Amino acid sequence: MVKAILRFVACCRTAGYRVSTSEVLDCISQLELVDLLDEAGFRAVLRANFAKSRREQAHFDQLYHLFFHELRQDISLDELDPLSDKMDKVLEKLQEKANGNRSHRAILDFLSGNPLAFLEMMRRIQTEQIDMGQGRKFNLGPLSSRLEVMVQLNDVRDEIDRFLSDNPLHFAAGTRRDLASRFNEQLENAFALLLREPRPHNDGLRQVKTHDQYLRQLGERPFTSLTQKELEQMREIIDKLVRKLKDVVSRRYATNKRGILDVKKTLRRADRYQGVPMEIRFRKRPPRKGKIVTLCDISSSVWAAARFMLNILYSLQECFTKVNSFVFVSGLAEVTDIFETEEINHAIEKVLKEVAIDYQAPTDYGETLRHFKRDYMDLLNKKTTLIIIGDARSNYFHPEDRILGEMREKCRRLIWLNPEPEQIWNTGDSEMFSYKPHCHELRQCRNLNQLIDFVEELIL
Amino acid sequence: MKFKDVEDVQEKLQKAEYITSREIATVVFLASATGKPILVEGPAGVGKTELAKAVARSLGLQLIRLQCYEGLDESKALYEWEYAKQLLYTQMVREKIGDVISGAHTLAEAVDRIASQEDAFFSERFIQPRPLLQAISSEETVVLLIDEVDKSDPEFEAFLLELLSDFQVSIPEIGTKKAKNIPFVVLTSNNYRDMSDALKRRCIHIYIDYPERELEMRIVTLKIPGITDRLATSLVDAVRNIRELDLKKRPCISETLDWARSLLALQVEDLTPDVLVTTLNMICKYKTDSDMVKVNAANLVNQAR
Ligand SMILES: Nc1ncnc2c1ncn2[C@@H]1O[C@H](COP(=O)(O)OP(=O)(O)O)[C@@H](O)[C@H]1O
Ligand SMILES: [Mg+2]
Repeated sequence: MVKAILRFVACCRTAGYRVSTSEVLDCISQLELVDLLDEAGFRAVLRANFAKSRREQAHFDQLYHLFFHELRQDISLDELDPLSDKMDKVLEKLQEKANGNRSHRAILDFLSGNPLAFLEMMRRIQTEQIDMGQGRKFNLGPLSSRLEVMVQLNDVRDEIDRFLSDNPLHFAAGTRRDLASRFNEQLENAFALLLREPRPHNDGLRQVKTHDQYLRQLGERPFTSLTQKELEQMREIIDKLVRKLKDVVSRRYATNKRGILDVKKTLRRADRYQGVPMEIRFRKRPPRKGKIVTLCDISSSVWAAARFMLNILYSLQECFTKVNSFVFVSGLAEVTDIFETEEINHAIEKVLKEVAIDYQAPTDYGETLRHFKRDYMDLLNKKTTLIIIGDARSNYFHPEDRILGEMREKCRRLIWLNPEPEQIWNTGDSEMFSYKPHCHELRQCRNLNQLIDFVEELIL
Repeated sequence: MKFKDVEDVQEKLQKAEYITSREIATVVFLASATGKPILVEGPAGVGKTELAKAVARSLGLQLIRLQCYEGLDESKALYEWEYAKQLLYTQMVREKIGDVISGAHTLAEAVDRIASQEDAFFSERFIQPRPLLQAISSEETVVLLIDEVDKSDPEFEAFLLELLSDFQVSIPEIGTKKAKNIPFVVLTSNNYRDMSDALKRRCIHIYIDYPERELEMRIVTLKIPGITDRLATSLVDAVRNIRELDLKKRPCISETLDWARSLLALQVEDLTPDVLVTTLNMICKYKTDSDMVKVNAANLVNQAR
């Protein structure tokens, strides 16, 4: 059993799934405590030790199923396969004739119950860095590698069929049919691995779709369709909102948080009572809510919403330890300074006029994420809330959703605000589908009511 | 006091009015046999907190609960010096202090003398133990529930990790305290943020989802003895249908139970769409959610014909 677990762990690690040595040891010692003939119990022990969060469970389940059910091997939890020996014979023959192609060899190994090379290949395809050479920015790198493997899978299937029909004397007709169908099953499993990239379970995702009606009419008007007059009204409303929020925050801290004893003040105060500390003084905690990093898509449709959000966030700046802001089209520009030095409305104008960013370039979220990873990853830590506001429309460039996953791991919370109506997310070139599994929270944000809803939750 | 095997866990928990799936019972058993903490994840209201309470009840152990929140620190979780009490004592023993320093020739000497008495003021007498210290200093094994750990700050998580690895704390003025009995630790998380790898490595993990239909039926009939099978069935089915809707907050087990209780109180025998609409406030906390349920009421109730 220990050997089987170790092989399974090797298989997990090859597929890019992290398992630590201490977890392996824990698991092996716990297996002694349960009835190994009961698969549910066996699986529960493995899962409790190897998948330590809901997010990991999807990938774990896939590997578990592959290893203990789909692969043919001595420790398969299903009935032992009576065809096993015969399959090995066929594979031996094919291996003798095999060409040098790596994927081809990996597939044959996979069929004989050793998935490591194949899994390694899958992981390479999934994490493939795109080659920044000419014009290969599109999502083609991984796609063409996948195609190549598909071709090899088909080749192997043909070879097996050919072998079986060319050597009718090796096996009885019935056995031949069974063999063909067992091999086919295995090849289908390999196909499935190739196609289904594991996406983490994201049940923790807070997807906010409804909102309170703070304001009628103006509150429901899409940001994109405001008239000049409404814009001004909007500013007043936001000012009022900001004042109210600040009020609530400071009142809450005044009553709620007594803070810790301030020895100096208490003793100073004690002088009034002949040195008796009658009045105990407390030191108040500063009411800060961690760091904020915002990435704003500055293409015109999104900017309409983003500017209001920046307006509110910077008006509430004192509630946070720090607010770092970036705008992007294809690549990022930091605008924190502008917002810290200029009056809000000036700052917003200035961003559009003065920031060195190529507005003509097609929006490219993948490039933006790469740029962030290269230069700004240090901004993220477990105290940072990362807010991305954008429609995720990326002109079919590589979405680099893995980088977003890395960013999620670094920060406290990742919140995505999408200013498009939800019905059209995932249509056309929107990559919302790829990004969603990595978000902690996902909201539609196209009018003031929705924005207020969001900000209130963020601050309070 | 431990569980014998997985079946024993299921039986004892059921006696403590908690119904578990076999997978959960297995993890509870492993935790009790190995002394490792359990990290329980899942949506709100699926019985994460209750699991810890039920374990305590079923083993007859004391439950010590630490509720986590943003800004929770060691002084609230572990111990706090009772400054006020210390100050009060200094006043009360003022004359004694006079005695101690009488005859001191220099200020420095007086200070030294007071300092040598310092231990008297930094002793356990002036410590206010908080849940974690209580759990560690308990004479008996306890169940330590660290509830909603995802709400705490990363610094606190790091501190917790240290505590969970050796179950000892050092209080500089007093010394190191080591747990006599390793507590049965349950951490719960609503997934507000991801926990660190180090913390996860220290625990065994269980995800509790909304219960399977059959499990929820058993919970309802266990907790609401008066309910007919028929009503329980249609109620559970309706709740399950409502969970499928796109709601701000999906109804959880406690809402199923509250709803069942109020239907009994109203002496409802059959669940109809009308009944659903009039008792809606038991299931939906938000107005937008109630509106959505109202509109779909007819489809949500499987009417037995
Ligand atoms: N498996 C169960 N068996 C019995 N009652 C349960 C079960 N799960 C949940 N409940 C009931 O649901 C209520 C809510 O559970 P709670 O532990 O507070 O949820 P959570 O901590 O996951 O948010 C509990 O008070 C309990 O009455
Ligand atoms: Mg709870």
